[in-house]
Amino acid sequence: MTAPFLAIRNLTVVFGKGADRFVAAEDVSFEIAPGESLGLVGESGSGKSTVLRAITGLNPVTHGTIELDGRPVPTPRDLPFYRTVQMVFQDPYGSLHPRHTVDQILSEPLAIHGIRDTSDRIVSALAEVGLGPGFRFRYPHQLSGGQRQRVAIARALILRPKLLLLDEPTSALDASVQAEILNLLENLRREHGLTYLLVSHDLAVVAHLCERMIVMRHGQIVERMTAEAVRRGEVHHEYTKLMLEAEKGFSRAQPR
Amino acid sequence: MSATNQTPLLEVEDLRVRFHLRRGIVDAVRGVSFTLGRERLGIVGESGSGKSQTGRAILGLTPPPGEVTACTMRFAGVDLLTASKRELRRLRGDRMTMVMQDPKYSLNPVMTVGRQMVEACRAHSSLTRAEALEKSAAMLADVKISNPQRVMGLYPHELSGGMGQRVMIAMMLITSPDLLIADEPTSALDVTTQLEVLRILDELVAGRGMGLIFVSHDLELVASFCDRVLVMYAGKVVETLKASELRSAQHPYTRGLMGCIPRLERSVHPLPVLNRDPAWAE
Repeated sequence: MTAPFLAIRNLTVVFGKGADRFVAAEDVSFEIAPGESLGLVGESGSGKSTVLRAITGLNPVTHGTIELDGRPVPTPRDLPFYRTVQMVFQDPYGSLHPRHTVDQILSEPLAIHGIRDTSDRIVSALAEVGLGPGFRFRYPHQLSGGQRQRVAIARALILRPKLLLLDEPTSALDASVQAEILNLLENLRREHGLTYLLVSHDLAVVAHLCERMIVMRHGQIVERMTAEAVRRGEVHHEYTKLMLEAEKGFSRAQPR
Repeated sequence: MSATNQTPLLEVEDLRVRFHLRRGIVDAVRGVSFTLGRERLGIVGESGSGKSQTGRAILGLTPPPGEVTACTMRFAGVDLLTASKRELRRLRGDRMTMVMQDPKYSLNPVMTVGRQMVEACRAHSSLTRAEALEKSAAMLADVKISNPQRVMGLYPHELSGGMGQRVMIAMMLITSPDLLIADEPTSALDVTTQLEVLRILDELVAGRGMGLIFVSHDLELVASFCDRVLVMYAGKVVETLKASELRSAQHPYTRGLMGCIPRLERSVHPLPVLNRDPAWAE
């Protein structure tokens, strides 16, 4: 057994106090091995994004520990953490600065981390996500949704991280563009030996990209399974069965 | 393609929607023709294919500076192109209605559910307030809301997504319309809630013998829900097929769209991508 790259133990995230107290994630524990890809599945409000945001330090950790490569992560997260862990958000329309060119968007992480060879890094980061150098001085509104998500992925990759946190990276995109982005993520993972933690409400997308998945509901983990088991329909929790059923689409076949 | 019914509910011939923008003319819909009986028709396409604009144009909801032209646009014998604003207002919300994508934006946030429903109901009938209230409660019960009295006292922000969309459907069906245009009615909902809402919609549409136009980006979902599907690309209908024949679709766009969706039954790496042929838009 290899040592886990990321280990979450008994993570609990609580928002508010008193009557407003809301437990968004409760006693969540899981591990990801280096190079592995894990999916968190659930519907809105299940706490899957909360866990992801707690890892990056965007949400507070009320209880529990997060260990990266064997060491607890510092709070607030430091620069070496962000060099190792980067995040791609759901909405490529909202996550890019509308008045910054692609060049400015991509040079910001480099400037923060004091990296010099900005120009070369930007051109190669764009090439990695399948965008030519011609995109470098465009604004986000001049790009399509898929191109924007490619820029967001390039921004995450430009620091050469090892772990990528993907929060519904394709749910705002058309099916054909989704296929392109999923293929890109798969290739990048293979080429760079990346580790993925993917959050999605779409079982098929998670099964496509990940070997293992965790189903969350009301802030808690209800089932852990492999993608293979899901493909064979071997799930045990009632809720997972319901999701699997829903995946097949609408049917009038209730009475039959 | 002939309609299944003798007298079509809706006839659309050569519908065009065009926007004169600063950056030039955008042809959102370029010559769409179809007839609709008392059936469920799906309109499918990617963003920008003109599917939503088609639905909006029928109701006369094209946002300015949009310009709608057509050879024929007839609903239950009324010519929608020459009808007066007054006539259109009488039809809209009464005999033809629309359910939009997100209940969060289509319900009035500062009015309780009950008040909005009573308003919708009384705008098209001479019912008293008490009668309208009673009808609203019955309609909410029809969309499987277990405690209509309580829900009528709530504001939209107090409803969950699935509940909000059910309220929306109840409000749109309260006048017993002949035609319902549903624009991505379940895309903002979770998969499990999505099926519940669809089941309710299906029962109501079948039970009342309404015509339904279901606009969606989700080909599979539409095929499992509708009788017939129009596939749109770049403002045109590229293929019309029976929902049951989706698997044997002919057009490369339809086939490409089906192929690029990851599925649980089969694992394909990498996923096939759509190679767009400029000829499809011709």
